[in-house]
Amino acid sequence: MYIVKAYRSAVGKAKKGSFKNYRSDDLAVKVIEYMMEQTPQVAPEMIDDVIVGCANPEGEQGLQMGRHISARALGKVVPGMTVNRYCASGLETISIAAGKIAAGMGDMYIAGGAESMSMIPMTGYKLAPSYETAVAQPNYLIGMGLTAEAVANKYEVSREDQDEFAYNSHQKAANALANGYFDKSIVPVDVTEVWVENGQRKEKTFTMKQDEGVRADTSKEVLGKLRAVFAQGGSVTAGNSSQTSDGAAFTLVASEKMVKELNLEPIARLVTCSVGGVDPLYMGIGPCAAIPKALSRAGLSLSDIDLIELNEAFASQALAVIRTAGLDPSKVNINGGAIALGHPLGCTGAKLTTQLIDDLERTGGKYGMVTACVGGGQGIAGIIEKL
Amino acid sequence: MSRKISKVAVLGSGVMGTGIACHLANVGMKVLMLDIVPKGVDKDAPAAQRNAIGNGALKAALKAKPAPLYVKRYASRITVGNFDDDLDKIADCDWIIEVIIERLDIKQSLFEKVDAIRKPGTIVSSNTSGIPIHMMAEGRSEDFRKHFLGTHFFNPPRYLRLLEIIPTADTDQGVVDFLMNFGSVVLGKQTVLCKDTPGFIANRIGVYGMAKILELTEELGMTISEVDKITGPPVGRPKTGTFRLADLVGNDVIDKVMKGLKQNAPHDKMVADVKMPEYFNYLVENNFLGDKTKKGFYHKTGQRDEKGRSIILGLNLETKEHEATARPDLPSLKLAKQIDDLKNRFKAVFNSEDKGGALVRKSSLALFAYVSQRVPEISDHIYPVDDALKAGFAWDLGPFEYWDVIGVKEGAELAKAEGYEISDWVEKMIANGHNAFYKMEGGKRLYYNQDSESYEVIPGSEEAIVLDAYRATSVVFSNDEVSLHDIGDGVLCLEFTSKMNSIGEGVLRGVQQAIQITEDGDWTGLVIGNNGKNFSVGANLMLIGMMAFQQQWDQLNMAVKLFQDTTMKCRYSSKPVVVATQGYVFGGGCETLMHCDAAVVGAESYIGLVEVGVGLIPGGGGTKEFALRASDSYFDGDVKIPTLIDKFRTIAMAAVATSGTEAYDKGYLIEGRDRIVTNASLNIYEAKKEVLHLASGYVAPVMREDITVLGRGGMAALYAAAHSLKLGKYASEHDIKIAQKIAYVLCGGDLTGEQKVSEQYLLDIEREAFISLCGEQKTLERIQHMLEKNKPLRN
Repeated sequence: MYIVKAYRSAVGKAKKGSFKNYRSDDLAVKVIEYMMEQTPQVAPEMIDDVIVGCANPEGEQGLQMGRHISARALGKVVPGMTVNRYCASGLETISIAAGKIAAGMGDMYIAGGAESMSMIPMTGYKLAPSYETAVAQPNYLIGMGLTAEAVANKYEVSREDQDEFAYNSHQKAANALANGYFDKSIVPVDVTEVWVENGQRKEKTFTMKQDEGVRADTSKEVLGKLRAVFAQGGSVTAGNSSQTSDGAAFTLVASEKMVKELNLEPIARLVTCSVGGVDPLYMGIGPCAAIPKALSRAGLSLSDIDLIELNEAFASQALAVIRTAGLDPSKVNINGGAIALGHPLGCTGAKLTTQLIDDLERTGGKYGMVTACVGGGQGIAGIIEKL
Repeated sequence: MSRKISKVAVLGSGVMGTGIACHLANVGMKVLMLDIVPKGVDKDAPAAQRNAIGNGALKAALKAKPAPLYVKRYASRITVGNFDDDLDKIADCDWIIEVIIERLDIKQSLFEKVDAIRKPGTIVSSNTSGIPIHMMAEGRSEDFRKHFLGTHFFNPPRYLRLLEIIPTADTDQGVVDFLMNFGSVVLGKQTVLCKDTPGFIANRIGVYGMAKILELTEELGMTISEVDKITGPPVGRPKTGTFRLADLVGNDVIDKVMKGLKQNAPHDKMVADVKMPEYFNYLVENNFLGDKTKKGFYHKTGQRDEKGRSIILGLNLETKEHEATARPDLPSLKLAKQIDDLKNRFKAVFNSEDKGGALVRKSSLALFAYVSQRVPEISDHIYPVDDALKAGFAWDLGPFEYWDVIGVKEGAELAKAEGYEISDWVEKMIANGHNAFYKMEGGKRLYYNQDSESYEVIPGSEEAIVLDAYRATSVVFSNDEVSLHDIGDGVLCLEFTSKMNSIGEGVLRGVQQAIQITEDGDWTGLVIGNNGKNFSVGANLMLIGMMAFQQQWDQLNMAVKLFQDTTMKCRYSSKPVVVATQGYVFGGGCETLMHCDAAVVGAESYIGLVEVGVGLIPGGGGTKEFALRASDSYFDGDVKIPTLIDKFRTIAMAAVATSGTEAYDKGYLIEGRDRIVTNASLNIYEAKKEVLHLASGYVAPVMREDITVLGRGGMAALYAAAHSLKLGKYASEHDIKIAQKIAYVLCGGDLTGEQKVSEQYLLDIEREAFISLCGEQKTLERIQHMLEKNKPLRN
């Protein structure tokens, strides 16, 4: 279960960024085509399946998007599917690919995720829960912002700590951009925009190759002035929450047999990947249920892990997880996280995996972990070994 | 030539300029708003920088409260530019309004440029309040001068109804007539024809009146809070009274206007005689200008007392210290509280022996004398003076109308006893045996014309239906809470006469009876409307509260049924029923509106189903109507739930539309069925036209049996939405209980599938839900709180 390649698009700001009119299936096709160009030994028909993570597979992301992506990027004979575990989708797909290979069901998969939050509303077009759930378990149905408030209250994460965490996320991300840490794995995408201005048809094409969410000039004072957006008198603001974003990221996962046969150079190995469930009201604490499982499966302890990508859904939950799971803050999100860099839901897991592999290489680390909380009260943790 | 105005240029984007631009956008104009290029900005700088002043002003307007726009999206009707790059665009405009700095030389040089660019025939006006209009036109072309005049809006332009129209000697009469009508019908303003005299009408009279009260306050040794209380609602004036109003306007502004009057109207003896008290000069000199400097007559400390109320100190006029104010304790105030009718109340206060009475009496007598002397100097007739003060200062009565309450002769004698001079035309009028400035005759309101020495119809008022004028002669039917008037052409108008036009048993039975009379007789149709400040504040809560507290469930059921039957009778009458609204259209008032054939809505109508505030749900068919309207909006393949959630939120959050236009967005009004009139005083007239229009070939609608409801599938989505509001602390436990009742009715109950149901079925479950909430302790607490404190309780 080797990861041979990992690429991603830059992450656009939803609704106002460069990908606001760029469909996520189109973006996925671009990333996969680019990855195939970098791996000439691999012919499209060698791919057993394309597994696409997506948190809201409807509207522009409907019609079983995975299949459309596989057919367009690799040809009709290559199948594709769509997988949804909300914010863990992009990591879950890699895990599925690795699992299939381990079970001997296939040799080569493209796995990752794609999401346009510009186009699909967070709760989909029709919020239609079960009557039984609505009556008996209404907490199963609440918005993510309210879970962040619940976590902040239960784990006593102060507004100041959340804002400071958000500030640091922007600072670290700005540093990463300045040093070009992400450039290696970002697929430049040409975007053409056509619009009408003063009655005239206008057109422009530009290349999108850098993450858009980072605010190098933000300060704790600015963040401190923002109003709580989810609850009256709350502490979770637009500034200490992840940004809504557009993006796609994919990996090429191959068996040992294929690596040898094609003389591929794997960059990493997925050691294991675990998921766990928690009370949906405290969704954000989810990683605490997954991390121990993954470590135990891998036979590792936290001290063996050199770097951690902990998805910053909200500063409140990220801090609660760091404190509760006993993570070393200096190992967590060394290039900032979703608060600064964006969180294109279904894509995020694969995007963080891509970043983590690059960072392990740059810092000379061996083991890394990608972990995230998941809507509905779950957590995921995947352990990566740099090769 | 029939003149059309669709594009207007507003030159200047200060608070007034932006406010005027926004109001023009409100009424459907395409607006070009220009201002100067900020200092230091390059010629080649991008438009965003060169237009920064106008852009900034428009952005601020979008956040301002009260909102200058009916709905935010109307901002797209305003194009922002600057004088350097865009002045040539005024050539396309039908009307150019100048609202720049109050400096004659700068205005003149701008008008010189305007003169060169404007197309002949384009109206040009100035919004100046202090510069003589004719001076601004000096040196301009003949065509310019023929089309130039003053158009003086009051701040905020959307809300203050006064528009003073000030022609010069050169202004074309056609332009004046056009703007008088356009201002009224299209802009919805009370247009008042003024002469080019200092302060025009409203500021001249209003500021004199204020100065006189300031002087008398010192003379009578009163405190500012005493004066503010007695010169407020007890005498039919806004709550701000006198000193609070001064803080709001700005003491520097008042000082400037007063000094301007003394200088520019040297023959005005009463203005010359009035002495601004020393305490007032003290404030101006120390830059205590009012709200804009945070300190004036009052000082908002920003601190709160132990009960959470903000601490506001008042100026002690003797020590000139800001200190805690004592609650005024004047016999005249207590007396005023007991009298509902304004005219009787004013008379009682006027005749009070205490210093409150003395202040009102002495200031009123000075005002009577003053206005008598100002006609015909500032206005050829008396009614513009009254109109200006009512529309510009929000007085319930104008100076001559107050005088009428006392009696012309009595008022004149008392004024003379105070040493004031009453003008000759009033003396003559009294000698001729006329003891009123106004009277009602043949369904019309007449004013006394001092030139012809007779009573005449107010020009331009022919279309405003004033129900008072019908009261004496044309009442077809009445009970304690309604009057049914014959307003001509076979149309009846049902007027609510209950307190605050609340809807109780008398109103409900009155509506039913009015419809019966309309149907049985040789009538064309019915208008439901009144001339009150508010159309209706909703159901009579006292009545519901009484039955709920005494747990008279059968009576309560009958009362709610009566409400539902009444709104349904509006819906299914065999003759057209059209509602005309203004001001608050709350709860039962809104339900009445929704059930008529059409609504003619004054633009400043604030429509909402607000029952949740008192722990109830709309029970007069309002919740049913929202279910029906949701159903009517569903289309083939619609996912439906977003529409349902939208309707649910509107009721559950008791959302009030802040303009007629917003009422469409909130689903209270229906495009194509209901319409908005900018000038609310024309709403009954327009509603009558609507009745006549609908009447030809009118067929009563068929009872609805085809309302699609979503059952428990819909309820689940609404429950989830409600639960999130609770977790977010936007709603209490009890709010959720109410919200779930709303959800139940909107979805037709916990049906396991989507199906069609009848209106009556929905009304029955709506009534059941309403009554079940009346049995809740927390609902009773809310009702009690509202009845006692007139504020909603959150529990």
